[in-house]
Amino acid sequence: MILSLAWRNIARSWQRSLVTVAAVATGLSALIFLWGFNDGVHNTMMRNLQQVIVGSIQIHHTDFFKKPSLSRHMKQTPELMKALSKAQHSGQVKGLSCRLDSFALAAGDDVSEGLVLLGMDTKAEAQTTRIAEKVDQGRFLQADDGAVCVLGATAARNLGVSLGDDVIFLTQDRFGALAADKFKLIGIISSGEMGIDRGLAIVPLDVLQTMLEMQGRYTRVVLQIAPEHLESVTTSLRSSLNHKDYEVLRWYDMYPMMKQWVDLENAFYYIFLGVVLLIVAAGIMNTVLMSMLERVREFGVMMALGCSRRVLAGMVIVESMILGALGVLFGLFVGLTLVAWFHGVGIDLSAQMDTVARFYVDPIVYTEIDANHLWQTAGSVMAAAIVAAFVPIWRVAKLQPVEAIHHV
Amino acid sequence: MSDDMLLQATDVCKYYHSGDSDMAALDHVDFQLKKGDFTVLSGRSGSGKTTLLNMIGLLDTPDVGSLDIAGEDVLALSAAKRADFRLQRIGFVFQAYNLIRVLSARENVAYVLQLRGMAKKERLDIADHWLSEVGLKGLEHRRPDQLSGGQQQRVAVARALASQPVLVLADEPTANLDSQHGESLMNLMRDLNERCGMTFLIASHDPVAMAAAKQCVHMEDGNIVSSDIV
Repeated sequence: MILSLAWRNIARSWQRSLVTVAAVATGLSALIFLWGFNDGVHNTMMRNLQQVIVGSIQIHHTDFFKKPSLSRHMKQTPELMKALSKAQHSGQVKGLSCRLDSFALAAGDDVSEGLVLLGMDTKAEAQTTRIAEKVDQGRFLQADDGAVCVLGATAARNLGVSLGDDVIFLTQDRFGALAADKFKLIGIISSGEMGIDRGLAIVPLDVLQTMLEMQGRYTRVVLQIAPEHLESVTTSLRSSLNHKDYEVLRWYDMYPMMKQWVDLENAFYYIFLGVVLLIVAAGIMNTVLMSMLERVREFGVMMALGCSRRVLAGMVIVESMILGALGVLFGLFVGLTLVAWFHGVGIDLSAQMDTVARFYVDPIVYTEIDANHLWQTAGSVMAAAIVAAFVPIWRVAKLQPVEAIHHV
Repeated sequence: MSDDMLLQATDVCKYYHSGDSDMAALDHVDFQLKKGDFTVLSGRSGSGKTTLLNMIGLLDTPDVGSLDIAGEDVLALSAAKRADFRLQRIGFVFQAYNLIRVLSARENVAYVLQLRGMAKKERLDIADHWLSEVGLKGLEHRRPDQLSGGQQQRVAVARALASQPVLVLADEPTANLDSQHGESLMNLMRDLNERCGMTFLIASHDPVAMAAAKQCVHMEDGNIVSSDIV
């Protein structure tokens, strides 16, 4: 009965109800689209950071991340191999790659430059990161390439070298002795990320191990994990590996600023959501309150006939919920359609690429929305519709039948 | 209270505040109704008849006095229990019909039965029966705005009677009707009173209503000044 009466009352003032539903739907669809853009940018940033080079999880010798040194290296111990094997067999690891890195002085024809010299296993790296896709000129490393290197575009420019040129790397080996070798430049990376383009030289892992007297030794194990498994794999690895020998760090343990930035931007969106919710609630309250005030006499008659205030309040709240639910349905439809559309065609931010590339944002943003954000937003709008009924309900609760019946 | 007594109001007073003074809308009124009565409360506007009707209908409370209906001290009931008492025991017919606009004639009549929790088929059957009793067979599905004033008031009567209340209260039921429809409505209510035995208390200054009454109680300035058996 409550539902039927509420629905008929909404239909009775259908134009006003339509405007209210449209306002709710517009607010919600705008929020969903903005979340879609926001999540698209954030997820791209976080994915790119992990997929380009950092990985989702890195395992190091304890304290290596804070104080990198060849003396803090790892070997293929049974403990490490067992932990990695367990992680791989869980089916949650997409790729796993061992790396060796050290600081080196790179020399071109006339100029020298300090770089990170990074040894990569090309086959394992191809399954773990997308660094090979960032090669802009030449090619990435291949198996059995020998002494070849890939440089960041800025580093190559600073050194004054181009494809086919030789680059000399001077560093210290594991025992502190000077080590130097000549590498042929076969590829140049343009990632847009300053750390990669300006300060990185990539060479084959086996060649670097030999050069640094680090055969069978690594400084990092990099794992690529789907976001939903990140925490469980981290927990599993931490429980399998002795923390005195190994540190297991998630991408945001190593680069907390990006996650903090995402959290900060999300916080701004929640504030924006709150403002929109206030507007939505005010719109619904206006409609329901006007509808209630127009029917004071009818409410008085219903009370005289024996209808309890509880039933009347129920009718008012159901009216508000119907308006909210219709607005949420239309808003979800429009908002998700927009998100789906721009997920396909993308939003071109090429004009702003100089600014955004360094934050791992792609030139075209493809919208996507996290389920949590979607349901939080839709649920909040629905909750606002319910809260909006409180003022009309309060007015109903104060009605006296004899006064209400004679209300003009 | 004797077995055939339905209602007893004793020493009922109701004051309205106007500026610094109190105005007595009801001034120590004593009033009784027996089961099966068809009583008209008459008097000019402001004489207190609607106020008394509102007290008896538990829509308002007296400042002083006692009120027993069907053996129950109704002034001792909470607001929720009064609503339930109205639902179970009292039927209302209002001057302005006061049908629920979004419901059909049939649904308006069935509404009170629905509030009582009656099953859908049963309440719609009863609604159809009472609409037929008041001469509106065939108009069950019309909305109030599709009915004439006289027809709307008949729906209101059917609504008041459908729940078989012990007491039907009508406030100026003929005020918005022309004399022909007014007389027809009063005859209908009197006929239902005689056939169904329901007790009617009608507040009206319409001579047509007074002519249909078994008992006519006249009020002036918040007092009952005469009571005549017709």
